[in-house]
Amino acid sequence: MARYGMVIDTRKCVGCYACRVSCQMQNELPVEESYIKFYEKETGVFPNVKNEIIPVQCQHCEDAPCVSVCPTKATYTTKEGIVLVDADKCIGCKYCMVACHYGARTQDHNTGVVEKCRFCAELVAEGKQPACVSTCISNARIFGDLDDPNSEVSKAIVKMNAQPLRPDLGKAKIYYVR
Amino acid sequence: MVDTKLSRRGFIKASAATAALASAGTVGFNEWSSEYVKAGANAEIKEIPSTCNACSSKCGMIGHVKNGRLWKLTGHPDHPYSKGKLCARGHGYATVVYSQDRLTQPLKRVGEKKFEPITWEQAYKEIAEKLNKIIKEHGPQSVALTEDPRASGKFYSPRFINALGSSNYYTHHVVCSNSRDAGFLHTVGVTATSADISNAKYIMFIGRSYGDGIRPSSVQALASAKDNGAKIVIVDPRLNNTGNLATEWLAIRPGTDLALVLAMSHVLIKENLHDIEFIKNYTIGFEEYAKELKKYTPEWAEKITGLPADAITRISMDMGKAKPKALIEQSWRGAFGCNYENSTETGRAVAMFNALLGNYQQKGGSIFGGKPSLGKLNKEKHPNPKEPEAPKAGSKEFPIAYPNNGVATIVAKEALEGKMKAAIYYHSNAALGYGNPKVMKEALSKMDLVVAIDVQMSETAQLAHYVLPEVTYIERDEVIEGLSGKIPGIAFRQQMVEKVHPETKPIHEIYTELAKVCGVGQYFNFSLDELNEAMLAPTGITYKQLREKGTIMFPNEEITLGKMKELKTPSGKVEFYSETYKEAGFKPIVEWIEPKVSPADDSFRLITGKQAIHSHTQTANIPILMQITKDYDLERIWINPIRAKALGIKDGDMVELKSSEATSKIRVKLTERIHPEAIFVPSHYGITSKDLKTGQGIGFGYMEHVPFDFEKWSGAGNIHEVIVKVRKVNG
Ligand code: SF4
Ligand code: SF4
Ligand code: SF4
Repeated sequence: MARYGMVIDTRKCVGCYACRVSCQMQNELPVEESYIKFYEKETGVFPNVKNEIIPVQCQHCEDAPCVSVCPTKATYTTKEGIVLVDADKCIGCKYCMVACHYGARTQDHNTGVVEKCRFCAELVAEGKQPACVSTCISNARIFGDLDDPNSEVSKAIVKMNAQPLRPDLGKAKIYYVR
Repeated sequence: MVDTKLSRRGFIKASAATAALASAGTVGFNEWSSEYVKAGANAEIKEIPSTCNACSSKCGMIGHVKNGRLWKLTGHPDHPYSKGKLCARGHGYATVVYSQDRLTQPLKRVGEKKFEPITWEQAYKEIAEKLNKIIKEHGPQSVALTEDPRASGKFYSPRFINALGSSNYYTHHVVCSNSRDAGFLHTVGVTATSADISNAKYIMFIGRSYGDGIRPSSVQALASAKDNGAKIVIVDPRLNNTGNLATEWLAIRPGTDLALVLAMSHVLIKENLHDIEFIKNYTIGFEEYAKELKKYTPEWAEKITGLPADAITRISMDMGKAKPKALIEQSWRGAFGCNYENSTETGRAVAMFNALLGNYQQKGGSIFGGKPSLGKLNKEKHPNPKEPEAPKAGSKEFPIAYPNNGVATIVAKEALEGKMKAAIYYHSNAALGYGNPKVMKEALSKMDLVVAIDVQMSETAQLAHYVLPEVTYIERDEVIEGLSGKIPGIAFRQQMVEKVHPETKPIHEIYTELAKVCGVGQYFNFSLDELNEAMLAPTGITYKQLREKGTIMFPNEEITLGKMKELKTPSGKVEFYSETYKEAGFKPIVEWIEPKVSPADDSFRLITGKQAIHSHTQTANIPILMQITKDYDLERIWINPIRAKALGIKDGDMVELKSSEATSKIRVKLTERIHPEAIFVPSHYGITSKDLKTGQGIGFGYMEHVPFDFEKWSGAGNIHEVIVKVRKVNG
């Protein structure tokens, strides 16, 4: 069985927000709500400066804290490791938002339901790539099966020594190249 | 915006079985997905190929239309600019079709910014009467038409103005690439080459940022060049967002790029790293040029550019060694499209530098693309309007400018002089974007007739006597677009959803109907479909096939690299020496030219540039894009901390920014990514039209600070020749 994961190569990301907007449209989100957030890290002094852009979304943690704190089991992990929210069960208590280390969750202002990156489960179900991956204009994102050592994503993790954003916070399924 | 009824929750709820599975605890993704696929069968989703309109690239895209409503877009996999991807603007701008602020009816101005709706018949009748009266009294050259060209406009707009007997057709390039276009045209015979980025070993960008002024395939190519170990140098007073893909940033003093290119050319020749064979076979005037270059040493350039002479020498030599797989990318607006008094000469120097590298038509170099051969309307049945006799206004003053662009701001100048009486603006916010808005407003107010054709109430539309509402690009078919490049092809924009507002019309219909009422309908006696069929005829592709595919490339017509063709310059070769320049009263050999203005110790040069989420000011009213500006405070100006400290300015402070033309209030972003001499302001903000509710009041328009001016060579807007002072204020 597949276990899905992603690589984000921040050395390639140009901070264009294409992933954010395509995700919003794919998931029909209100404009104020986004599953992807961007952090900028500027280092050095003019003219020896570097600027890193780090797109952050739900990291689909193993042993996800949002899953364990959810009182109604609205947040759950599929066998393939995708962390999903069942909108019908979510009571909007925001425990998960507090528990998430990455600030990856947002609350829909209209319904109160808490949501986040869902690894584009609909597209993946059809054998397609997540919207943010297929539109990434610099090919900074790679998605696939972490359990298959021959998948592009697994090979990229090995080749580029990609690491979770915060290895100290437990295992995640998004790996960063920095 | 997005239909919340069909939200992702709606998606899941569509299947009761899915909910049942979910409530059983942890659901297997496979079970979940098979249920999902069944549930998805309820929604009718059509995939319609078309082209984007969020910027001039017009990438191929596929519209996913759910139950008749545009849901989302994906990049067309076959289109050479999208290659399966779209940028943020491409995704987001499409929501304009459902914008609350769209124009829905023809409008007539009845007072300052006051409009009343009228019928199309009345609008056509009154516009035609006025146009004919003006032409009768002042001649056809008192009428002009300006646009930011797209496929239909490119065909219909010049035809329409020519049918009225006027040659005054203009494009937005006066504030885009007029300088580069002129510099390239008189050196290599075309206004732009393209760059074979993915095969290049050494790439220099001057002011051009692939990561900010995006074309998806260019960014992909650059990322793969980086993977292949290419050296990528960014020359820019600010570390732009392509910085991540670059190997080196040269933080040049703004306005001095010409000095850098001259010195680099000097080094190539001095070190014997120029391509002597290429120069012998394909260029003229090299000896004179080489002589002139002797004085432009790296040490000389260091004083002007602020870049170390060593770095200039090293990079030039490395590029010389990497030739012909080395190039200065041809750029677009970048640093020399319309920015400084020396921009046309910078464009020329860049085209010459590439010739020294012998990189033209070489793998990893600068490419002259091939064009698809498309058909034309039968001239017997559909006569072309007579070529107007009088030259385009502005062509005498600016003989070096690319004739097809013209100098659009000449319309305003001649209006102020009382010569230009009527102006039509299609898909063009000239009043805000082309020249100083105060001057533009005065100019437009002086004319007897101003017509704006647009989808929203732009600042230009606000000043028009008549506003004609177009359908958006999501709701219309257009003229087929020929794609030139290494492999030529065609792309087709087509209607994805039914018209949202019944009283809006596509541009070809507006021109055709207005022409009839003006009495020149004989030049528009064909339908859009007939025109497109005629264009397709020689390709053997049927209209139906094109509708299904959207983009079709012609790999059999791929150009052969390694072979130089005769160029379209007077000599047929690359011109280091230009007779055309001489005849126009300019120096035939490129030379250093000072920028017009220079900041003092207590002032800055105001520079501008693009952000990846916006296109000019066209996207400022799109909520899904403007929200990003709000979330990340992207409208702020950039100041270097050293300068800010001396002025007592901290990150996030409100400042007053003052130039000879205007005063603005804005917040500050402190960053080491900007040259201490410059203040950077993104070029997408400062909407003043109160009918554009999302965009209005965010940031300021840099054009407010730009004196109304023409660069001497190409007539471009000199948009970086601006000195400003800042001081901290409360707020
Ligand atoms: S995987 Fe899908 S849901 Fe997650 S961020 Fe990307 S586009 Fe959005
Ligand atoms: S689309 Fe790719 S390059 Fe653009 S912001 Fe997202 S991750 Fe970065
Ligand atoms: S680059 Fe972006 S905005 Fe321009 S045509 Fe392509 S997708 Fe559209």
